[in-house]
Amino acid sequence: MRKRINQHLIEYAIGSVVRQGYKSLFIVSVFTLLTALLTAIFFITNSMKYELNTTVDTLPEIVLQNTRASRHIDIETRSADKLLDIPGVSSVNARVWGYYYFTNAGVNFTLVGVDEFEEQYSNTLDKVVKNASFENSGMYVGQGVKKIMNSSYYTEYFNFIKPDGEIKKVDIHGVFDSETSLESNDMIIMSKESVREIFGIEESKATDLVVTIANREEIDTISLKIEQMFPNARVITNDDMKLSYENIFNYKSGIFLALFVIALFTFFIIIYDKMSGLSSEQKREVGILKALGWRVEDILKSKFYESLIVSLFAYLLGITLAMAYVYLLNAPLLRDIFIGYSDLKPLFEISFVLDLQTLSLVFFLSVPIYIAATIIPSWRVATLEADEVIR
Amino acid sequence: MNKKSTFVFYIFSTLTALLVTQTLYLSSQESMKASAQEKKVLFVKLTGLPDLALSSDSAYIRHRSLSFISDIYHLDGCLREYDKSTYAIENSTVTSIN
Repeated sequence: MRKRINQHLIEYAIGSVVRQGYKSLFIVSVFTLLTALLTAIFFITNSMKYELNTTVDTLPEIVLQNTRASRHIDIETRSADKLLDIPGVSSVNARVWGYYYFTNAGVNFTLVGVDEFEEQYSNTLDKVVKNASFENSGMYVGQGVKKIMNSSYYTEYFNFIKPDGEIKKVDIHGVFDSETSLESNDMIIMSKESVREIFGIEESKATDLVVTIANREEIDTISLKIEQMFPNARVITNDDMKLSYENIFNYKSGIFLALFVIALFTFFIIIYDKMSGLSSEQKREVGILKALGWRVEDILKSKFYESLIVSLFAYLLGITLAMAYVYLLNAPLLRDIFIGYSDLKPLFEISFVLDLQTLSLVFFLSVPIYIAATIIPSWRVATLEADEVIR
Repeated sequence: MNKKSTFVFYIFSTLTALLVTQTLYLSSQESMKASAQEKKVLFVKLTGLPDLALSSDSAYIRHRSLSFISDIYHLDGCLREYDKSTYAIENSTVTSIN
């Protein structure tokens, strides 16, 4: 075992890397950049998936939306009574929510109505809102919403324009904690009555119905029963939501794919350059080594060490840079791909997730390929006779 | 070991130490804390709307898990194109027949 790792061969390989100077530096730079770029994208994606998966289990088991001609319309609140008759359904909540377009800033707010005086909502709001006050009817807004409202001089209240053109003034009672910024940035929570008034939703109607089921095993059966009961309704189960998360980045996949293709293409150019043969100087070096009595095995080992040093160094450096770029600097430039161009951008502070699978994937996509691309041409030359190579 | 080898050894050691230190620092400082996780869970439980507030450009893609596909590829609240790729959809032969 001791004889297998020859220290002198490693020293020769290090000398060879240093001797090549700018060429080694160039390969290390490109390799590092590629590794860093690929890893950074994987890091961002993983962190976002982790963020989404953190909350997915808290979602209602079934959401029921009414449709007409495949377009969403309000649902009758009395449908809840029919749903409660289905065995296994624990509760049904008529939800009122929607989007309010604030023309001045060109942004959409998401308005969600809650039963204001229910104790459970007050307790929850108390935990997620900074300095919450529950004196009278008002609203709780996300950090982004607050910023946009402040820029339009709405610091204490906001005037919503109702469908009939009248103004509905609602006081700002609190701002959601910045720790929930990724979820709450564009959200406004207020009483159901206020949301109904702003959107012009009748008392007998709701945006959708949230169905809670005690036994998760019964979700599929109950969703089938609901579909039969309301043929034009759209039944969204918790699993559908999870599936939609699987495809959540499809919208941006074009940009991802472009980045990935560019990265791979650049890397393959380097590999092609290596595979297409050694330079005459390198061939001469192999020939001289053989003439001095080096075995094919020794030459291949020295080339293996040489490529391992270069690729491993670039890989480690790339990973270190990617981690710092994504989690310490919050991915400047790359984050714009994810957060769109709206003025209502959330703080892009994603949680650190150490995903060994990603690190292994990037490792096996880069280091072994590079080593192979170095060793194969060397083997071709090393198997020739020394005089043939030098000549 | 000669000078070059010692130098390379030190470079690798420094880089590995830096990577490990950075990982440990990020694990302790930048990981999702239990309090933050609890708040996120409570917030999503309260609203029932789980999607991240990243794409708030258009109402139709804000809560995409509760959106229709036909809504996603559409226009914004003021009927302006909201996406750079809208030209590809709007000018396609499939949608511009009439």
